[in-house]
Amino acid sequence: MSGLTTALRLAPLFARRRDGDRLTVALPLASFMVVTALVELVVGGAQAFFRWDDDLGGTYQLLAVVALVLLLVPLATVGASAARLAARRRDERLASLRLLGATTGTVTALTVLEAAATAFVGAVLGTALYGATAPLLGLLHFRGAALGSQVWLPWLWLPVVVLGVTLLAAASAVAGLRAVVVTPLGVRTRQRAGRAHWVRAVVALVVLAVGSLLVQSLGMLGSAGGVVAIVVVLAVAFGGALLALDAVGPWVVRLRARRAHRRATTVPALLAARMILEDPKAAWRQVSGVAMTSFVGVFGAVGLAFARVTDTSTLSGDERWLMQDISTGVLVTVAGSFLMVACSVGINQAATTLDRAAVHVSLDRLGVPRAVMADASRRSVMSALWIVAGGSALCAVLLLLPLVGMAVFLQPVAVVTAAAVFAVGFLAVRGAAALSARLVPGILASPERVL
Amino acid sequence: MTPILRARDLTMRYPSGSSPALDAVDLDILPGESVAIMGASGSGKTTLLHCLAGIVRPTSGTVTFASGTGPVQVESLDDAGRARLRREELGFVFQQGLLLNELTALEDVAVARMLAGVPRAQAEAEAGQWLAHLGLAGMEQRRLGELSGGQAQRVAIARAQVGGARLIFADEPTGALDSATSVEVLDLLLDAVRQGRTLVVVTHDADVAARCARTVVLRDGRVVSDWAPAAASAGVSR
Repeated sequence: MSGLTTALRLAPLFARRRDGDRLTVALPLASFMVVTALVELVVGGAQAFFRWDDDLGGTYQLLAVVALVLLLVPLATVGASAARLAARRRDERLASLRLLGATTGTVTALTVLEAAATAFVGAVLGTALYGATAPLLGLLHFRGAALGSQVWLPWLWLPVVVLGVTLLAAASAVAGLRAVVVTPLGVRTRQRAGRAHWVRAVVALVVLAVGSLLVQSLGMLGSAGGVVAIVVVLAVAFGGALLALDAVGPWVVRLRARRAHRRATTVPALLAARMILEDPKAAWRQVSGVAMTSFVGVFGAVGLAFARVTDTSTLSGDERWLMQDISTGVLVTVAGSFLMVACSVGINQAATTLDRAAVHVSLDRLGVPRAVMADASRRSVMSALWIVAGGSALCAVLLLLPLVGMAVFLQPVAVVTAAAVFAVGFLAVRGAAALSARLVPGILASPERVL
Repeated sequence: MTPILRARDLTMRYPSGSSPALDAVDLDILPGESVAIMGASGSGKTTLLHCLAGIVRPTSGTVTFASGTGPVQVESLDDAGRARLRREELGFVFQQGLLLNELTALEDVAVARMLAGVPRAQAEAEAGQWLAHLGLAGMEQRRLGELSGGQAQRVAIARAQVGGARLIFADEPTGALDSATSVEVLDLLLDAVRQGRTLVVVTHDADVAARCARTVVLRDGRVVSDWAPAAASAGVSR
């Protein structure tokens, strides 16, 4: 009997029997639902601009693509979190299957089937969530009018997104299984968490230097290769900056965590630093989605300030709208990326809390206050976020230092607006990190299930 | 002598169980005793330990702990109060050592003191002394994955004592260890008793029980035997 046939016969049994652990099912389902809704909202919002075919339509479409690219990174983070969560929650049952004599093929097929089924149901629910929230997105004003029904995706796109999310979940489950060894006695990872190395910083500097040279040669390249060359150079420089940030991020996170560990005077601070040092890459990955957005957000805020004090009497009505819409777009993009990072953090923290259920029970038995672990988890997320968002924004501020100073002086409202979006974004992520603490009382109510 | 722990008519019913896990148990534990609680699986021995230590609240009955500041009715404390009692007055050693993966041995022990408000430097100094005392000098910076089962249990024993707990609860502390290491770990626990602490140990292992001053045997949630061969010579009466 082939592994797939066996898996198909076992799948309904596994779907029915969940050992009463509803969270094992509900959490990945909710994650895929959120991911699908976000994908459809982002793509729906971006494609609204492609319905304009006048002179400035092309400019709006270019900016929409830039915003889409900026949102893809945090969106991919949420998607990866959901897929990892779906794969991690079935570890114990995989080991039990192997103990009963199931082959690796059966285990793989069952895992992929289950991940795909969960993702499919989650994606369908997510499409319903998109239907409920898209009207809110339609309230955004561009060119002086609400986007309205333009944010609705053509209906044919919806099954494509659902299918895409399902296939990605299945692929992620296969990739996840390659990282673990499922034995009859349990599931163990093949390798230790990656260590962030200083070589990454060197690589990042080289990438940034090359990107900087390319941007400085933009005029020369533009006159030689035209608009296409400029777009290619900007894309390479932008992508290079993203890669550089990704390369150097975990290393910086580790350096900061080591410093925080040395200076920790309280148990939550000590635990938070140790949690990050355990896997700096994971700590970075969780919040890295806001890195480039924060960077661009500062540019946007400064641009917005100068746009408001620029003499617009020579501009046409459409051009004046464009100036205003760029600032709206920047704020929406920054807010969107923070929302996605908040979702990613919520999913990851919930998965970590469930994975460490036995530790929570043990700590409770030792009399450790419940707030200590919750505080430590929250600190580990927020300290990484400060490094990612704060660091990126600070880099942009340093690059634009005189202009930022002038912007604060000339148009403080614009700068305060951008700062408020950042502050609300931080609060959203902090709230998502704190949500996982709500799972702990449920774990402690039934400790026999985790020990 | 006043018991350090007194249980009266202790009954525990779980919602899923048809019969009580503990059925009207009376038990006195005197200061400086080493008491083994034995019984088959499902006899209620771990439930008894959890009730005595304030980990769970019994369905009915009382548990009185003679703390340094006076008697405490454990069963009447709320969750936070029982957690404080466990943190500040009691020590615990469980089968797996129950250490946090991320922490070093030194930090794991020091955290117990830091939670009591002791500054980190002092907490780590005290933790280092206890680890050295228990034969772990030079291993302070090792983490859970880098310690053997016996070494992890030594860390747990250090953590149970570093705060000055007078009463230590151990749940199958040798359950995951080989024979030789089991003897070493039990030696360390009984050393704590010789230093004036009280030990309550839940065990399947008759060899562990034989080395304790007293053995309480449970069956179906009831005490069926309470045997103290050393009681007469030690002046302890039942």
